Amino acid sequence: MAETNEHGHKWTMIVDLDKCNGCNACVVACHAENNVPIASEEEVIRGRGNHWIRIERYWEGEYPDVQARFIPVFCQQCGSAPCEPVCPTYASYHSTEQNLNVQVYNRCVGTRYCGNNCPYKVRFFNWWTPEWDSPLNEQLNPDVTVRSAGVMEKCTFCIQRIRRAENDATADGRELRDGDVQPACAQACPSRALVFGDLYDPESQVSERLPAERQFKLLENLGTEPAVYYLKGEDTHVGE
Amino acid sequence: MTNLTRRNFIKIGAAGTATVILAGCDSDERWVKIETYVRSPEEEVAGNPKWFATTCRQCGAGCGVIARVINGRAVKLEGNPEHPVNRGALCARGQAGLQVLYNPDRVQTAARQDGRATRNYEPIPWNTGINQLAEALNSAGSRVAVWVGTTTPGHLVDLFTRFTDAVGAPAPVRYDLNAGFGGYAPLSNASEGVLGQAGLPTYGIGDADFILSFGAEFLGSWISAAGYGREYGEFRSKRIGKARGYLVQLEPRMSNTAASADRWIPVHPGTEVLVAQAILRLIADGSAGSQERRDLAGQFAGDVDLEEIAEQTDISVETLQTLATTFANASRPLAIPGTPVTGRDNATEAVNAINALNVVAGNLGGSGGISLTPAAPINALAAPTYSNYQDAADLIAAMTNGEIDVLLVHGANPAFELPASAGFQAALENVGLVVSFASIVDETALYADLLLPDRVYLEGWGYDVATPGFQGLPIVSGQQPVVTPLYDNVAAADVLLTAAKSVSGAASALPWTDEVAFIKDIVTQLPEAAYPAEGDDVKWAYFLQHGGWWPAEAPESEAPEVSLGGPVELGPAMYEGDPAEYPYFLHLYMSPILGDGSGASQPWLQGTPDPMTTIAWQTWVEINPRTAEELDLDDGDIVRVSSPNGTIEAPIYRYPAIRPDTLAIPIGQGHEALSRYAKDRGANPVQLVSGTPGNDGNIAWSTVRVKLEKQGENKPLAVFESTVDQGEDVHIPF
Repeated sequence: MAETNEHGHKWTMIVDLDKCNGCNACVVACHAENNVPIASEEEVIRGRGNHWIRIERYWEGEYPDVQARFIPVFCQQCGSAPCEPVCPTYASYHSTEQNLNVQVYNRCVGTRYCGNNCPYKVRFFNWWTPEWDSPLNEQLNPDVTVRSAGVMEKCTFCIQRIRRAENDATADGRELRDGDVQPACAQACPSRALVFGDLYDPESQVSERLPAERQFKLLENLGTEPAVYYLKGEDTHVGE
Repeated sequence: MTNLTRRNFIKIGAAGTATVILAGCDSDERWVKIETYVRSPEEEVAGNPKWFATTCRQCGAGCGVIARVINGRAVKLEGNPEHPVNRGALCARGQAGLQVLYNPDRVQTAARQDGRATRNYEPIPWNTGINQLAEALNSAGSRVAVWVGTTTPGHLVDLFTRFTDAVGAPAPVRYDLNAGFGGYAPLSNASEGVLGQAGLPTYGIGDADFILSFGAEFLGSWISAAGYGREYGEFRSKRIGKARGYLVQLEPRMSNTAASADRWIPVHPGTEVLVAQAILRLIADGSAGSQERRDLAGQFAGDVDLEEIAEQTDISVETLQTLATTFANASRPLAIPGTPVTGRDNATEAVNAINALNVVAGNLGGSGGISLTPAAPINALAAPTYSNYQDAADLIAAMTNGEIDVLLVHGANPAFELPASAGFQAALENVGLVVSFASIVDETALYADLLLPDRVYLEGWGYDVATPGFQGLPIVSGQQPVVTPLYDNVAAADVLLTAAKSVSGAASALPWTDEVAFIKDIVTQLPEAAYPAEGDDVKWAYFLQHGGWWPAEAPESEAPEVSLGGPVELGPAMYEGDPAEYPYFLHLYMSPILGDGSGASQPWLQGTPDPMTTIAWQTWVEINPRTAEELDLDDGDIVRVSSPNGTIEAPIYRYPAIRPDTLAIPIGQGHEALSRYAKDRGANPVQLVSGTPGNDGNIAWSTVRVKLEKQGENKPLAVFESTVDQGEDVHIPF
């Protein structure tokens, strides 16, 4: 389902819910890559947990006919994003080149309007300036800003990796290839439930896999035009 | 003293630096050097990463990792795409390995404890520590014991084994929660019946099209999380010749593996083998599957009463029939026994009962079934063997009897991982010298006299024979430092090699100058790998560059010799505790995030929500909401859970997918030590099981009954999910 555009990229994630088993490898990978602070026990109890990608778990039915389902949720990089028009400082804006929702940390004054307006609840507010007990600060990724108190943050599709891959490709005098960019979550995923790529590239894995029979988008009826495609779990009830 | 001019001062300074570097390592190829920006090496571009392949030691699986290093700092771990165990994948614990390296509570030098459990540590020079160890080893003779775990690197276990052999001491005990709770010993022993020899089997999940898992949490902390996670992705894929796999998980509490299954069956605890026996009977008497499968099933099916089994297992005859038919008709069915099977009485026999299904399936030896990791091509690299709990209990008994003068502990934490009734701490009183190699003071190091902290895996050398291996390949995973060691610590292997020089009998068995010489000696003996390399130096360089050794193609395997003859007639598991006093079954599981509990020292893992409950930082008790209602319990209500062996307190979490007669508690928290992040947090449910070896020499992890008492207090749960009860009707205000 490649879309064509001479300029830029349309970064897309496919989440195959048939393969996601809630192992949380993506969650820790994202914390490590993006310098996302860990909320203490007290902060989690106050509802201030911060994970750019999280595994939502839904219960269906009652014992013994009960079913749990996992849905990894992160910024859906909406084409028509509710978070963008409400930002008074243009900290939250749309990159037309990358087709991403971008957050400019040093414009953000912490009104939290964007978080309020996001139907996916994937924007997180820094209630405190993050601290790392020395020498845990050594683990910080120098490619990613550490956000201070009062700033809103969210999943960027690992924009620093996109930039690095683009720079490397330019230095080699070639076009970006499918697979050059791997966000930390997709790279770690043991079962390969997360597949990332450019929908403008007809050869990319995401273009080849879409459209898929099982595809849907989260809260699509809100008209947000998410860039993330979910593939429903298959319920092949053999022999039933 | 010469006149100290500015020019001379610089010269002396430069010479001093050079000396330090030379003294720090024998060969400059061995260390990554940290350089300041102002004197950067020519090839170093500020902000440009370097990548080093090494091996993860967060569990025993031996996944290949690649560390991203910028200006001497390790900033990210990725799976090694070439490595046959994980093929680029890495689990949550593997990702968190940086916090093993940069943990703020690491022991930074050798230390002596002034009185056990006093936490009164006095730093000592390494020479003093090594000398004390050498003297103790010399006078102990064969009265030495070594206790290692699954996370101890293979080269170190091999060196310890050479040492104990040389002094006539018993081989090291390799036992920890990963091996014990994972059931390594019963699984290995049972391989003898179906694969012709003992060994930890590999389950070919990826190529199977129907899996009956008897409580094996292969998507949790069981044996090889990234390896089996990768296989699970394959299992769910459709390929030419293979349909999307169908998974049935039988266990009393829905784990994240069961949540991912196509069907979860809350089997009555302890009756897993009856299900297997019923399925064998039904295949034998039915018309599904090939004649060969039906004949084989007839060979293994005992004289069983299906109605009775249906009652005992809480699984209807129709469901049993469905499972039997599907298993018989599947092209590549697979049966996997998990902790509910390996943690019961007669565990090996129980595993055999499940394995009989694999014999019927005809999936022994090849890919897609169960197989043994092929032996590495040189004798020095035999597949690791794991001890049964009996071996650990025997060692504890020997310690109690005063037969052990020196105990060395590396990569295991028995004071946390064993119930108090195992008597480990008490037995230490009769051991002259207890030496811990732990990099963070853990519960066992609290009782140590001497701390000789090993370098952690991201700053140390090693190799590891990956078991289970995958794709039928023998795999020797390589480990190298990705950063300069953070602290003034000496590698445990170097401590041993140095100390052994002055121990009579041991010096000739351990002739190597240091651990790198030993590893290099072994590695260069390996034949051709998947990558071409000629000459010792190139072989060694490529071993480090690729992250290990494995051949391009799997060696041809011979059909295994099945000696499992007839039906395994085994009743339901025997439970400890009188049902009148202890009304609930206890279902323990290793936290999928914290693993064996060592993960509790890492804030990334502490702060990651449990996949099923979304709880972070805490221990909780899972109870069916209906049972909770009967007992007037709400989320967060503190309860006291008691078994005949012990008691813990923790808050309640009402869990919709657990049997009403069962309570489930994750293992991982409840530390007295192990860094500021783990200490005094949650409870350790290991205390609820018995430390007396069962009739199969194992710990009865899954066969104890408990009771519940409300404590009248409430602790808010650190849940990430919404705590607003949305009920049936959800009103969205827009």
